[in-house]
Amino acid sequence: MTFADCLLASLVAVICGLDRMALCQFMISRPIVAGPLVGFFLGQPLLGLQVGMLTELLWLGRLPVGASIPPDDTQIAVGGTFLAAYAMSMWSYPEPVNIAVGLLVAIPLAKSGQLFDHMARRANDNLGRRVERFLQAGELGAVERGHLIGLGHFVVSALCTFVVVAGIGSLLCFALAPIVAPYLEPAGYWLLLVFPLIGAAMILRSIKINHSMTLFGASFVSALLILWLL
Amino acid sequence: MKLPGYILISTLFRSFLLQASWSFERMQNLGVLYALSPALKYLYKGEDRKEAFQRHLTYFNTHPYMSAPVLGATLAQEEKRAAGQDVTFSVEDFKSMIMAPYAAIGDALFWGGVRPLAACIALFFAFKGSLLAPLIFLAFFNLPHLMMRFWGFMRGYFRGVSVIEVIQRRRLPDVAIRFKEATIILLGGLSAYSTFVVFNKQAVAPGWGLLALPIIYILIWLSRKGLSVLFLIFASVMLIITFFQVVT
Repeated sequence: MTFADCLLASLVAVICGLDRMALCQFMISRPIVAGPLVGFFLGQPLLGLQVGMLTELLWLGRLPVGASIPPDDTQIAVGGTFLAAYAMSMWSYPEPVNIAVGLLVAIPLAKSGQLFDHMARRANDNLGRRVERFLQAGELGAVERGHLIGLGHFVVSALCTFVVVAGIGSLLCFALAPIVAPYLEPAGYWLLLVFPLIGAAMILRSIKINHSMTLFGASFVSALLILWLL
Repeated sequence: MKLPGYILISTLFRSFLLQASWSFERMQNLGVLYALSPALKYLYKGEDRKEAFQRHLTYFNTHPYMSAPVLGATLAQEEKRAAGQDVTFSVEDFKSMIMAPYAAIGDALFWGGVRPLAACIALFFAFKGSLLAPLIFLAFFNLPHLMMRFWGFMRGYFRGVSVIEVIQRRRLPDVAIRFKEATIILLGGLSAYSTFVVFNKQAVAPGWGLLALPIIYILIWLSRKGLSVLFLIFASVMLIITFFQVVT
């Protein structure tokens, strides 16, 4: 993992972090996109794809409504891919172990993303009041300046989250991976099945339509039987 | 006074930055003013311009994609107001009346409907190991997203406040429910497929994968009891590790 890799990953973290809320919202911030994107720059697109697909469903049902700040799954995907790639470059554990280590370290650390996001929004409260004072004084250009400064707050928030996830995460990986990997290794791909199943459960919990459990169950059983029997 | 095309385009593209200075107190107010400012500068001079700017500094919050028809209709209202014509509602009343229902429609349609559906479709490709998955997700999601941005903005501008009826006729909440139903069905297939892939990789008969269904129902029950995703992940991983330590 070179310095250039870290710079590229942080650039992706910032761009995807902005897309989450402040800029465009084309959804490049979704883990299924952000994971492979950072993986591409780190030379491991398939690793990023795996991290992204495992993370995608977990908080997909949490809607960014009003003042609520959902968990930062963008930085989990970006940081998780970074850490998994770091683990691959350091040790020769099987791929599921590296991915599991990356995600298990990134997920709790990315809680900091909610804190930084909250701080950025609070900073924008002050900014709004400042712009209002400028407007009353007849300085209309303050609107555009103030608005773009607000964007800067979100840049700092995304960058800080990535630094926490990737920086502290790398140290944790370095210290913990040799200890936990021998326990994770026998479980292999079973570890990775945990993520989509919990993700599916979370979405089923959040989507409120009639007979959702029946529809899901029927679809699950029929798809599995078809895959098994054909 | 009609707004020239370049100002409409500028407002539309500026609306992509609507949430750049999102704040707890007034949410998207600065974003709205940022998007409208080229038009307001064009329409008003002197004190009127200052008043127009202050008019849009009030609290505003809606779904970012659904802001397009609101901004379009607001421009039409401002045009009439600047020309001294009668307007059906004041610009402030129109915005405050429409933002909450449009937020609810946008949340249900885009966050609750289109996004999970696009994700489920793309995840099939991801589990297959195809790098097309992110592109498929972006294409499925952004087609309706960009349609709403461009179509909504133009409809809002040309239809003015009657854009409310135009959106109402599309029955978007019903469309959102159909998307959610499709998502549930695809999610069932996706969960089965991911289970099948892992069971195959671990050389276990896929029929045992049927056990994943009650596990998912138990996970739903546990999350309804208030257990967080973080807890469920770590608890499940610990259970799996313990199982393999005991077995091997």
